[in-house]
Amino acid sequence: MAHDLGFWTLQTLNALQLSMLLFLLSIGLTVIFGLMHFVNLAHGSLYALGAYFAASLAAVGGYWMGFFLAPVAVAGIGILLYSGFIKRMRKSGPMAQVLVTFGLIFALLDLTRIFWGDLALAIEVPSALAGRLDFLGVEYPAYRLFIIVLGVAIFGLLAFVLGRTQIGAMIRAGVDNDAMAACLGINVERMFFVVFCVGCALAGLAGAVAAPLLSVTPDMGLHVLIPTLIVIVIGGLGSLKGAIAGSLIYGFVQTFGAVLAPQLASVLIYALLAAVLVIKPVGLFPARG
Amino acid sequence: MFRHNALRYAVLVALSLAALFQALTAEYFGLEILTEILILAVLVLALDMVAGFGGQVSLCHGALMGVGAYVYALVSAKAGIAPPVAMASAVAVTGVIAWVIGAICSRSHGIYFIMATLAFGQMAYAYVFEAPVFGGDDGLSGISRLDLSLFGIDLDDSRSFALFCLAVAGAVYGASVMTLQSGLGRSLTGVMHNEQRMRALGLTVWRVKADVFGLSGMIAGLAGVLAAQHVMYISPGLLSWTVSGEALVVVILGGLGTLVGPLIGAAAFVLLKHEISAWTDHWHLVVGVVLIAVVMSGANGIFGWAEARWGGWLERRMADATRKHEQEEVVSDA
Repeated sequence: MAHDLGFWTLQTLNALQLSMLLFLLSIGLTVIFGLMHFVNLAHGSLYALGAYFAASLAAVGGYWMGFFLAPVAVAGIGILLYSGFIKRMRKSGPMAQVLVTFGLIFALLDLTRIFWGDLALAIEVPSALAGRLDFLGVEYPAYRLFIIVLGVAIFGLLAFVLGRTQIGAMIRAGVDNDAMAACLGINVERMFFVVFCVGCALAGLAGAVAAPLLSVTPDMGLHVLIPTLIVIVIGGLGSLKGAIAGSLIYGFVQTFGAVLAPQLASVLIYALLAAVLVIKPVGLFPARG
Repeated sequence: MFRHNALRYAVLVALSLAALFQALTAEYFGLEILTEILILAVLVLALDMVAGFGGQVSLCHGALMGVGAYVYALVSAKAGIAPPVAMASAVAVTGVIAWVIGAICSRSHGIYFIMATLAFGQMAYAYVFEAPVFGGDDGLSGISRLDLSLFGIDLDDSRSFALFCLAVAGAVYGASVMTLQSGLGRSLTGVMHNEQRMRALGLTVWRVKADVFGLSGMIAGLAGVLAAQHVMYISPGLLSWTVSGEALVVVILGGLGTLVGPLIGAAAFVLLKHEISAWTDHWHLVVGVVLIAVVMSGANGIFGWAEARWGGWLERRMADATRKHEQEEVVSDA
């Protein structure tokens, strides 16, 4: 089995698909942290909300309606969270922020249960992406390939915006030294707000994309939170490079660990995280050296 | 450093009396709730010791408690060794594991410390979940309670067990106060306030952090042993990070760094949980909203708020009373 090229291709694709999903989630969280020094544990709940919005909208107007509108709806929730809680918690320490967002997790978990019930929802894969494609000699579901392509596209877009445009330069300046950036005439507060909304929208997008693969349950946000945190801590907080590196490491370790050493798989990733924290406590590619 | 003041003594006495009264008079259901509160109280004392007095906000204390429970279950139920030995070994093993975690994480601060402890907690959870010797998802059952028939006490009776837990919680409180008032505890608080300065004074900072974390782990392990004996069944859910998160919530609701506050928090949390789940199954929503309100109000939990409001007043009254008393003595001497 392990000498078969098809096996390796298949597992690589699986790993990439998982990595890209985590990338969509972690990039929002990591840039929000880098820019605002804000630890938003409720990011996973936004992902769950994205999945629910996508499921409800898909029932009305088909998959693509959910795909495009769920991120917008989640960004709307993000605006509410920002003006209600996060703006006021900006100046408090990490401890208070962790706790408030922990409270938000609890509250949002039960609110989704109240609105959508306890039963798992399911969405159909859109018909254009329903089949399987022949890719390097393996049959692979088209929808999963779509996730990989989407992740790479979002990565490319963000790399371009952050690295080549003026807005990107302003964001990087803000991550580097927000007081100095404000002195240079950048409206840091408004930039925070925009970045926060984009981060929320990406979490919603991740939820909408993941919904057809997994069943949509209230606690899906809780389950995805730990992998997302692992990704950003391994990668280093605040940087695009860290988010993509962390996602790839997590995806590959998890996928290949599960097939090559099933007993060790789940411990492996935590051991890796512990090793990274001991050797490089700030992660592999932190935004600030 | 931890100091007792009038309000802390008053609340402590009131809490112990209430617990004792409940233990002696309550029916089966009340006793179960009391036992649950007392076990949670032991766990949050352990957490407050490191989080409130060392700034080490740990998200692995639930997992440490689970480790204690599993070691006790394995040694007593599977290996068939007497419960007292099993209890001691569970506490010792948890202490050693916590010491190692504390030593490794001693370089991390703030959010990184939280993440690192979370990682170790999840590692333990994943390991217990996967390894066949721990019974996987099914957990372990057939755990027996400590045998105190030598003293004529039958712990299988829920009233005796509640009283036993009360005694353990009291002893743990005393031990925590002693640790925090010792040189080690004072050094830890010094490290929390200014690590560089303590290092400059010649303190081996990582050793202090690891030592207190180890002691705190022993207490968490003891809480695990009690939990295993209470329910007589354990499952990997005990090690999940949400348990650690809830313990942290209890410490915050009660009042970080006050020791007495988390005890109030534990009682409030368990009672609230049972009261709310009686009329709605959305108790997480209520807890979430309460937590957000408490943290955003800026007060240090229920007890911190009470202390800021009445603590000083009570202290002054006491001081006035003693001064008046002394004056009277002086007058009568003359």
